[in-house]
Amino acid sequence: MKILLLSKELRDGEAVSEYVKNLAEYLVSENNEVTIVSFDDGSYYSIDDKVNVNRFPLNFEGDNLYNWSMMMNNEMKGRVVEETEVEEFDVIHANDWTTVPGAISLSKQFETAFALTLHSTENERGFGSEESEVISELEWQGTYEADKVLVNRDETRNSVLFDLDTPEEKLHMIDPMKEGWQHRILNTYKEVITDEKQVKN
Amino acid sequence: MRPLFVTWEYPPYKAGGIAAHCEDLATTMADQGHEPVVLTYGEEEEVEYRDSVEIHRVPASQSASNTLSWAMNLGHQMEKKAIELAKEQDFDLVHAHDWMAVPGATGIKNTLSLPMVFTVHSTQKGRDGIDSDYQRTIHNLEWYGTYEAEEVITVGREFSEEVKHNYEVPGDKVNYIPNGVNLEKFDNHSENLNKSKYALDWEQIVLFVGRMYPQKGPGHLIEAMPEIIGNNPEAKFVMCGSGATEHYKNIAKSQVGEKVHFPGYVSDHELLSLMKRAEMTVAPSVYEPFGIVPLEAAACETPTVGSYTGGMKDTIIHEYTGLHTYPADPASIAHEVERALSDPGWSDWMGENARERVEDNFRWEQISAWTTGIYSDALK
Repeated sequence: MKILLLSKELRDGEAVSEYVKNLAEYLVSENNEVTIVSFDDGSYYSIDDKVNVNRFPLNFEGDNLYNWSMMMNNEMKGRVVEETEVEEFDVIHANDWTTVPGAISLSKQFETAFALTLHSTENERGFGSEESEVISELEWQGTYEADKVLVNRDETRNSVLFDLDTPEEKLHMIDPMKEGWQHRILNTYKEVITDEKQVKN
Repeated sequence: MRPLFVTWEYPPYKAGGIAAHCEDLATTMADQGHEPVVLTYGEEEEVEYRDSVEIHRVPASQSASNTLSWAMNLGHQMEKKAIELAKEQDFDLVHAHDWMAVPGATGIKNTLSLPMVFTVHSTQKGRDGIDSDYQRTIHNLEWYGTYEAEEVITVGREFSEEVKHNYEVPGDKVNYIPNGVNLEKFDNHSENLNKSKYALDWEQIVLFVGRMYPQKGPGHLIEAMPEIIGNNPEAKFVMCGSGATEHYKNIAKSQVGEKVHFPGYVSDHELLSLMKRAEMTVAPSVYEPFGIVPLEAAACETPTVGSYTGGMKDTIIHEYTGLHTYPADPASIAHEVERALSDPGWSDWMGENARERVEDNFRWEQISAWTTGIYSDALK
């Protein structure tokens, strides 16, 4: 299987990055082909060299994280289309709202299955900024467009169910602190690909 | 060719000049056998076919905290629509108009692997500066658009230099194509102004058309009014446009009382009637990359007294199609308006010259052909 993982950053010690790295390393050990595409903030990361990593700079600073992320996603799409064999991916797996716009566009354009992990929701984070509403809308849109929505813990699961109204059948709670979590994620990929094939047939 | 226009405004929605520009350009391109498709904002998703142009509207989030975030959100919605459209038809390129189209156009360019053309109608630096984070982010987006685009179009000759300098764009990537005027619209319009709504019988209308913001210079014209009225009591100032109208109205009324009139909302039809009937239009802009008013007035055979700045350096020929004033200089405005008022025969002659010059130099047929020429360069 060929998997594209999208992440806002890739940095040793940072929670989402560690999740992405651990997942990627497991997937390649199971003979899958994995590409991680993320913004390059210059920080250090270490990863199994069987994982393809493509980090890109961004010449746009933005006055807040929402505006920055929207342009970061534009750059990310360019990088994926130009430098990976994008048509061959079986699954595009985005992490948090910061990579949702890119994942939606790419999955629509190349008709690829789309998995989204929400590591937390804007509601959980307190809805504290002027951009919270548009961010929450992106989270909603991500869960709406995704074939599978993954969460790491009960609090996020509840927020996704009740704040974002995600149908329970596409939601999976997979705790990355528990053994075998990466394998369970691989299984959800397989499920969604099987579903897609059935739909296409 | 089939370009995909990305613009946040397209008629009937319009706030500034971009809507009219895009409509005239798209319509003319369609007349010339091209197949432009327009992607723009609408309160709800809809498609419309008008004058052989396919127009798609998409809504944007109502939760954005400011115009910048709104433009980002609109861009994402537009890109989704473009992906859907591209499944049915092939686009040759994406053509973005001003910074609000940059998020959508760059996303479309990257996802659909299309060349991009970017028309810069004005700059954040020129409009109101780049002092705050918000303003700097818009400036950054403008830079991003010029960086990502294969070809950049600017609407003014002097403005081209400003764009090259502001965004450090290589000179051979920046092209100057002026705005145009749809003469048919002016010729098909029948003037039926009820002048008594605006001025007394013996008064001569001196018309201002533009948004009431410092950039357009209404304050400088207002400062010049008492002197003009003192020497030419027949002058009656009519100030049309949205913006900080109340602010300028209060100042103007305190200066010249009944000799100035702010009509509030004026329909397009009425505005053309006013332009046709006016003795002159005054365009006292401090910053004006192009400035369509002198050309629209010219189409009505009305001369313009306008600042010697930006596009008006080209659209007005001093003492031939109108008169130039020093920018932001009320004494200069007063002097030139008085010269035109005191010699109506000369004003009429300048109005006729202005019209002839528009017919020769600012027709959409020509501008559309230049633009598709730039498209060919972008596709190389």
